[in-house]
Amino acid sequence: MSQLIWNGLFVGSFYALVALGYSMVYGVIKLLNFAHGDLYMLGAFSGFAMLGVLGGLVQSQSLLALLLVLVATMAVTGLAGVALERVAYRPLRGAPRLSLLITAVGASFALEYGTRIVAGPNPKVYQVRLGGTSMEVFGARVTVQQLVLVAIAIVLMAALNWLVMRSRQGRAMRAIALDPKAARLMGVDVDAVIARTFFIGSALAGAAGVMAGGYYGKIDFLMGFIIGLKAFTAAVIGGIGNMQGTMLGGLLLGLLESFGTDWLGGQWRDVFAFGCLILFLTVRPTGLLGERVTERV
Amino acid sequence: MKPMRTVLGAVLALSAVTVSAGCGQGLLGGDSDKDKGPILLGMDIPLSGGSAEIGPYMKNGAQLAIDEVNGKGGVLGGRKLELRAEDDACDPKTATAAATKLVSAGVKVSVGGYCSGATLPTLAIFDRAKIPMIIPVANSTELYAQRLKHVFMINGTGDQQAAAAAKWLAKDGGTKVAVMHDNTSYSKDIAVRTAAELDKPGAPDKTAVEAVNPGESDYSAAVTTVLKGRPDYIYWTGYYAEGGLLVRQFRQAGYKGKFLVGDGSVDAKLAKIAGGQNGEGVYATMTPTPQTLQGAESWIASYKQKFGADPGPYSTQSYDAVRLAAEAIKKADSTDGGKIADALRGLDGFQLFSGPLKFTQQQTITGGFEIQVVKNGSFVLQEKVQ
Repeated sequence: MSQLIWNGLFVGSFYALVALGYSMVYGVIKLLNFAHGDLYMLGAFSGFAMLGVLGGLVQSQSLLALLLVLVATMAVTGLAGVALERVAYRPLRGAPRLSLLITAVGASFALEYGTRIVAGPNPKVYQVRLGGTSMEVFGARVTVQQLVLVAIAIVLMAALNWLVMRSRQGRAMRAIALDPKAARLMGVDVDAVIARTFFIGSALAGAAGVMAGGYYGKIDFLMGFIIGLKAFTAAVIGGIGNMQGTMLGGLLLGLLESFGTDWLGGQWRDVFAFGCLILFLTVRPTGLLGERVTERV
Repeated sequence: MKPMRTVLGAVLALSAVTVSAGCGQGLLGGDSDKDKGPILLGMDIPLSGGSAEIGPYMKNGAQLAIDEVNGKGGVLGGRKLELRAEDDACDPKTATAAATKLVSAGVKVSVGGYCSGATLPTLAIFDRAKIPMIIPVANSTELYAQRLKHVFMINGTGDQQAAAAAKWLAKDGGTKVAVMHDNTSYSKDIAVRTAAELDKPGAPDKTAVEAVNPGESDYSAAVTTVLKGRPDYIYWTGYYAEGGLLVRQFRQAGYKGKFLVGDGSVDAKLAKIAGGQNGEGVYATMTPTPQTLQGAESWIASYKQKFGADPGPYSTQSYDAVRLAAEAIKKADSTDGGKIADALRGLDGFQLFSGPLKFTQQQTITGGFEIQVVKNGSFVLQEKVQ
């Protein structure tokens, strides 16, 4: 039982980290950025490339190397997210929603198959592996590395929450979410704030990508597709646009999958998890914490 | 991914139909047997997509055999063989278009087919054109279930693999076995058949048949579920990427028993993904690879000399498929599909890498599986299964 809960929470924290980017972007410009999962993939691959460059340090100080790469990758994927917004989304900001949605799907394909051309179609194996010793906590088997990853995820999410709720930047984001025109009239640089939103969301996805690479070890150019879908689901469960709701949604989806596998078997896991999702949304269409429409980011 | 392929497939299929309609008259009108030009052999193989790395191994193996046959003067009084490879991307729609293209190009024998799912829809296309298929790799039981006269398979089949697996599990001291698959037709087929073998009296107990979704990273939920049955042997019938992750996550969860994997998982990457020592000692049910075949050293050397790389999985089967095609054309003394198929059925004792050939009632080969094991990060021969 406790093992099932821990499994669910661990996977869920990955979902939550990726889902936050979805949720932020949707909150600010009402765009479902379907290329978001591919930024996660891009993060995993740029981390892979950087670890290759670091070489010697990787062997002696693997955890330190991974942390360095994590930070550098966040910068890289953040900038990639900004570039994506500049090229694919900003020119279409006034266009109908549907055009934006199609551009997002197009951007997703471009990133996937662009990576395929550069890195090849075969899966790659990370140079640094977080394996290691495990211990029993309340009857669940927990590794130190899992705890470190969850801690990193929590720190990133807390920092994000502070940024959005307490800083000037965050206030500007929330202002745009409420009413872009009014925000512009009040002197908020809308383009810059949106670019920053993309930077933060993409950086989080990139961080999750490196963490997944270091923990699971296998990366490939389509790895962002499924997690993108799951993260989107998590964001909707939690109430898309709402930060805390999105985090909760990620954890909830992880738990649903974990228990679904246990009760019904692996074949039925997604049927169970997504069946619950449909039921849940018919009862509560705004998601877990979706009622705070006035505070959307 | 899917929508793009669909569009591409539709375009290819359309163009192929147009081409074949245009050529129809010419093909019916002329007696192609009087031709002195090269005889085309068609090959549908994955050159893009998730299995893209296999395609070149197969193509090179086939090309090696073609060069050998041509070097000895070709067939039917000096006619050369020529290979025409098409990309099927391991995708049914692309494969259909590729097969149609090969048919309209006038191939006489098909020597391709890697993914069972992609090969299945091409059977009808080749059969309608009365073109014999010698399928080197694809081995789902669905392929011979239709009992098509022109379809021959020279790789071990799913039920043969399941039988070999059950035999090994019992022999290696397995008492409680969990079987896992990835829900694809190929993998599930082997898993279900193995489970049926395990249900027979005297076989090891079956604790679970569990599935995971390919393409994900975290299988801890499935791992926890399977370990509740306390298995001492786990048989994974899917591909190596998920196989490596499963081995690793089972070990991390404290599993101390053994692993057996199916032929889709036989790749050195499995041990790399599993990481550290986790992959060592993982057993596999596999058809012979050049590296584990006795007497294949000179063959490997000539392959290396020609292509500047080591042969890979299924290079030998593709090589054999072409040799078999050439032999049948010689025996039939014709390029007529029906006569070639008759000649293939009549072959007895033709030497393949897997042993002397005699097609069964289902036009498949017998036996052909061996047990391999990971040593120092790569798969080596453990023993032959009789």
